[in-house]
Amino acid sequence: MLKIEHLTKNYGEKKAVDDLSLHILPGEIFGFIGHNGAGKSTTIKSAVGILKFDEGTITICGKNIKDDPVACKKDLAYIPDNPDLYEFMSGIKYLNFIADIFAIPADVRQEKIRKYADLFELTQDLGQPVSAYSHGMKQKLAVISAWLHDPKLIVMDEPFVGLDPKASHLLKEMMREHCNKGGAIFFSTHVLEVAEKLCDKVAIIKQGKLVKEGTMEEVKGDDSLEEVFLELEAE
Amino acid sequence: MLRILVKKQLAEVFKSYFYDAKKNRMRSKLAIAGWIVFFILIMVCLLGGMFTALSLNMCWGLSQAGLGWMYFLLMGGIAIILGAFGSVFNTYAGLYLPKDNDLLLSLPIPVRTIITARLTNVWLMGTLYVSVVLLPAIIVYWIMTGITAPKVICGIILYLVVTLIVLFLSCLLGWAVAKISLRLKNRSFITVLVSLMLFGGYYFFYFKANDLIRDIILNAEAYGEKLKGAAYGLYMFGRIGEGDFAAAAIFAAVTAALCLIVWRILSRSFLNIATSTGKTEHVRYVEKTVREKSVFGALLSKEFGRFTSSANYMLNCGLGVLLIPAVGVLLLIKGRVICEAVEKAILGRPDCAAVLVCVALCMAASMNDMTAPTVSLEGKSLWIPQSLPVEPGTILHAKMAVQLILTGIPMLLAAACGAFIVPASAVAKVMVFVMPLVYVLFSAVCGMFAGVRMPLLNWTNEIAPIKLSGAVAIIIYGGWGVIVIMAGLYLLIGYRIGAAPYMACWSILLTAIALALLRWLDTRGTEAFSSL
Repeated sequence: MLKIEHLTKNYGEKKAVDDLSLHILPGEIFGFIGHNGAGKSTTIKSAVGILKFDEGTITICGKNIKDDPVACKKDLAYIPDNPDLYEFMSGIKYLNFIADIFAIPADVRQEKIRKYADLFELTQDLGQPVSAYSHGMKQKLAVISAWLHDPKLIVMDEPFVGLDPKASHLLKEMMREHCNKGGAIFFSTHVLEVAEKLCDKVAIIKQGKLVKEGTMEEVKGDDSLEEVFLELEAE
Repeated sequence: MLRILVKKQLAEVFKSYFYDAKKNRMRSKLAIAGWIVFFILIMVCLLGGMFTALSLNMCWGLSQAGLGWMYFLLMGGIAIILGAFGSVFNTYAGLYLPKDNDLLLSLPIPVRTIITARLTNVWLMGTLYVSVVLLPAIIVYWIMTGITAPKVICGIILYLVVTLIVLFLSCLLGWAVAKISLRLKNRSFITVLVSLMLFGGYYFFYFKANDLIRDIILNAEAYGEKLKGAAYGLYMFGRIGEGDFAAAAIFAAVTAALCLIVWRILSRSFLNIATSTGKTEHVRYVEKTVREKSVFGALLSKEFGRFTSSANYMLNCGLGVLLIPAVGVLLLIKGRVICEAVEKAILGRPDCAAVLVCVALCMAASMNDMTAPTVSLEGKSLWIPQSLPVEPGTILHAKMAVQLILTGIPMLLAAACGAFIVPASAVAKVMVFVMPLVYVLFSAVCGMFAGVRMPLLNWTNEIAPIKLSGAVAIIIYGGWGVIVIMAGLYLLIGYRIGAAPYMACWSILLTAIALALLRWLDTRGTEAFSSL
């Protein structure tokens, strides 16, 4: 579904990501863990085609992000770490804008908006301008917009930040359901308990380099993910 | 504490002098010195020079007629109007909208200290405006009538009194704006409307000012007597400048009392207004039938939404939308008379009226520069267009379409008016119609090119990309430069080939540049946009 091979990204002389390779398969929830500034967001932004990278290849559903970015983006949805949405639009206008871009038929989009907005208890606020939304509400709107077009791959950067416990729980269920239907999810998080319970596979990145990767059992063994992570950080 | 807060606020106001937002780093010492010298030049030489000339014009006649008080009343009045109205929106933004209101209110700082710091800032800004008018006025008076101790002491008191009156009025107006804006629904449109009315009033007063001042000077004695009788307070105000200690003491006491009252009122209402989030009426969502849009339609609709959502964007980059039809109407009503006058005034330049009508229409079109800041305005939301499955070229085309539609449609009507009234050959009339439309295309494409090449994405206030970005400056001044060259070249040598061929040459040149830039935008421009 998502194949990152030998990804390298430099910011001036600093290597933000150094020869990183990951492979996310259909049906997988893939957690991406690392300390602040480790290179998680850079990897994610490169994967979704909003950041140019220096070396390596990224393919989504077999298509190269550099050669055919539009086709790749049709298959994915991205939620950034800070949901800076169009503040001048109302929630419903934003969702309809996204739906128009993905050419979702009117009846289908209305049904989906109704379903997800009800689930996230956002229906009453859809007429409000996004500028009046709290961080959590913006995050919910970003999640709904990501699920609108049935993407094959969903890439999320710290998706649980700002969400209330109920919305977090809901998002986890949606993630699992998406993968059960054959989709894949690649997300970064600092909440190791969530990663431990939710992810099928996990990768740990340190100073731009991949230090550990595999199924949850392979990575943590008999320890907790937190112990493994702190141990790797200390090395 | 007060000192720290004032220092912080001044650092914010003059931040751009020390910090380069585009490069995200402090400016070099040389650049800082350059910016400060530039600021001083503008304030002292340009504005100060303008009011020194006005003072020189008025002072001698009035003081010799024993109406020195009227001289100070007029100059003080100008200083008060400039100071209060010049800083009303700054006062509103500075007192009630700063982003650090919540932070400061959460710190162990008394509200009255915060409001005092804010007021000090407002006072300093108002004093800046007052100084460019009143300092030259007072100094000119001293030089022309001779310096005495009472005049110096009272002159200083007058200066301080005026700065306090400006502070009082700014706060009052700022408070009114804050109160009104909490109740407004279509805030951006109403702001545009009010601003346009203020602009109109300002220019009306500006064009009438000379006649008004001449009339006052000619009939100074009669007006003086009337004023003294009807409004003794105004007479007393003017007397301060002449060295009247009693008038100075009364006005100093009254203005100090007014400022104290304002400070008390603001201290009490500050918390309510500063923590208010505006009109809180909840817009209840009612599901409606959705009309599907094409990708381009969705992007275009989004761009129109962005433009109409911001009063700043509309006012600074879309004045042409109103100006172009206004020029069209003016041409229809007065066009023939103007053209005849132009032809008579500029002899030996056949059909120059046709070229100048064309130039006027292009000038009106140059007031629209929506494309120049449009990429920068994406700001932190840039991830949205970049992550969507849309060709970057389509995004840029949608952005350009906004300017083409909002400038092109009014221009069709205005250019038709121009072609209709201009006394020229049929071919020249066609060119009067075609060339402004070509300029509309040229201007939109150039704006887009500059916007992609010089984006300013790390802004916290949209004023930065709209007013202060390099792209906007280049497009505005560059556009005017092209138009000046267009007119000047015709008057110098272009007339030799005739108006119609001259306009045709320019049309071909502008089209060629526009097409070349379009080609760049569709190739390297799209790459540049997706790499931002």
